[in-house]
Amino acid sequence: MSAAPDKRPTPKGKGTKGAAPAAAAGAAATAVAGAALCLTEENLGKLVAEIVAGGTRLVAPAREPQAGVGGSADYRYISSAAELAFGDSLPRMSLKGFFLPQSEVLFKWHRKGADVEIEAVPTEFPPQIVLGARPCDTAALEIVDQVMDWGLRDELWFGRRDATTIFNLSCPVEDASCFCHAVGLNPDATRAADGMLTPVPGGYLVETCTEKGAALIEGHKALFESGDTGAAAQRSKAAAQYRADARAKVAADLQIDTTRIKEWVGDHFDDDFWTALGPRCNGCAACASVCPTCHCFDIVDEPEGVGHGARRRNWDTCQTGVFTLHASGHNPRADQNSRFRQRVNHKFFIYPSRFGEVLCTGCGRCSRVCPEGQDLAEVLACIDELARA
Amino acid sequence: MNVYQPHLMNVVAVIDETPDTRTLRLQFKDPEVAAAFAFKAGQFGEYSVFGAGESTFCMASSPTRPEFIEASFKLAGKVTNELRQLNVGDTMGFRGPYGNTFPLEQWEGKNVVFIAGGIGLAPVRCVIWNVLDLRDKFGDVTIVYGARSVADLVYKRELEEWAGRSDVKLVTTVDPGGETPDWKGEVGFVTPVVEKTAPSADNAVVVLCGPPIVVKMTLPVLAKLGFADDQVYTTLENRMKCGIGKCGRCNIGPVYVCKDGPVFTAAQLKALPAEY
Repeated sequence: MSAAPDKRPTPKGKGTKGAAPAAAAGAAATAVAGAALCLTEENLGKLVAEIVAGGTRLVAPAREPQAGVGGSADYRYISSAAELAFGDSLPRMSLKGFFLPQSEVLFKWHRKGADVEIEAVPTEFPPQIVLGARPCDTAALEIVDQVMDWGLRDELWFGRRDATTIFNLSCPVEDASCFCHAVGLNPDATRAADGMLTPVPGGYLVETCTEKGAALIEGHKALFESGDTGAAAQRSKAAAQYRADARAKVAADLQIDTTRIKEWVGDHFDDDFWTALGPRCNGCAACASVCPTCHCFDIVDEPEGVGHGARRRNWDTCQTGVFTLHASGHNPRADQNSRFRQRVNHKFFIYPSRFGEVLCTGCGRCSRVCPEGQDLAEVLACIDELARA
Repeated sequence: MNVYQPHLMNVVAVIDETPDTRTLRLQFKDPEVAAAFAFKAGQFGEYSVFGAGESTFCMASSPTRPEFIEASFKLAGKVTNELRQLNVGDTMGFRGPYGNTFPLEQWEGKNVVFIAGGIGLAPVRCVIWNVLDLRDKFGDVTIVYGARSVADLVYKRELEEWAGRSDVKLVTTVDPGGETPDWKGEVGFVTPVVEKTAPSADNAVVVLCGPPIVVKMTLPVLAKLGFADDQVYTTLENRMKCGIGKCGRCNIGPVYVCKDGPVFTAAQLKALPAEY
């Protein structure tokens, strides 16, 4: 393949990232209120057991029991601490599905002759607890809250949001695909979280951020130790070191200015940059599935027998051709270039224009799963360079 | 309240407009919902057949006639095919009204020019009746409407009614070859007929709706006639699912057609990328 006709930056695909530029100044420290307590590994197991015994659904990074050595962790409803996989890599999928299920019944209908009866679904949900959420996945929920609360409120989304208590796991940082720092987060961010666990020798430093978080601790008080002053100080020091290490890793990574990117993307709807990227997208939708902030959906009717069925909303994505296809056959986004452009546009121009922040938490999942090597971090780096030029 | 759960409506009349276009007249089953329901010209709804799904149509009836709502649709896909199977007395679903509106209050005292092609008369018809039902508040009313053939003209009885009114100037046209021996209207595409009709841009607004080609070709003609881009209104149709700004489907550049539209001025349209 010939080189680009000009010297404009063009993404080469995954694995070609250059040397990391010098680290930017550290992001502002995460404010965590509440007393710092300790949860030992042993007591974490007891906490899981108590929550499960109490009948509350518990979500945590866990490995499928049958997965074996090669299996990766995923957020799952768990029933025992043996399933926990806090130390594994980033869960395969984000937390999105616990709030916006991949397929969700909106209501059911029953035909009675020419008449129809609607069977409503509840918009209130039983409580659930998430332990060990990655900060990028939790923050995504609050970002998506904005569109779900825009105009008419999405009660199904907020019903689940209200019913959920989330404790983050301060992130050790995964790999070169991560770029949370570049989009205003950091590995120990507590945005949208009710509390956070930070690994320290022998267990976790536990901090709470909300009343919901404090209530969870209060309900299992005996498991959380404050210990003597010396031990507490040591724990705090270990936690601070853990976080500083994690921050240093991401701070040295992608260096972009999302404001500059927003302006460039907004001003360059028609640009060769997109034309070059389109061919490297299969439209397979893997990126949108794993994305914690991609929230687009389809609404379809599914008969469940004669005369009755359900209207469902299913995850959908702007990366497929049928997404915008009119019944007439006309398609405003007829090629993959325009569909990939829409993905970048929505995340880095449309959402910031509407809601004041990017629709991305830098989890890097889209880059990791892309079968074609499309690397969003690299795409952003190129746009940033174009914007600076 | 689950925003995705539709209200139930009764089909109270089925009107065949053309061989492939039909109008359904609908009434809410629940009198309380009917009493609380209100909409304005330009808005749209999500109409559903249980088992087939939802489709987006403008309100084709006027808010000045609140005893029912009407939707006109052309047979095109899965939902419209199922809508065609409905008979009087059948039940369907409706969510809405959604979207922005034509600023009729701002148009009071002005001349109003309506230009429509094909099924594009459906959203325009809503505004036409709205204006005609408040006739004293507006100046001259001109309607230019064209379809592929005489058989493809929608709302034929209403076209006759408008033709018979002294306070309406109606020009109808069919594409060359689409005329019948007794056709008395114009023969030609909508755009040249607009040029020939030459409505005055003075103290006037235009409501333009039709297939993309009609809108695209007519905009320069209106400019030539002296209409500024903010005097020309149109309504966009993009594929939608939720209708309420969540499902991410109807973006045109930064615009959500369902929330920022469907009504746009030509000036707004020109500022958008041509992704519609």
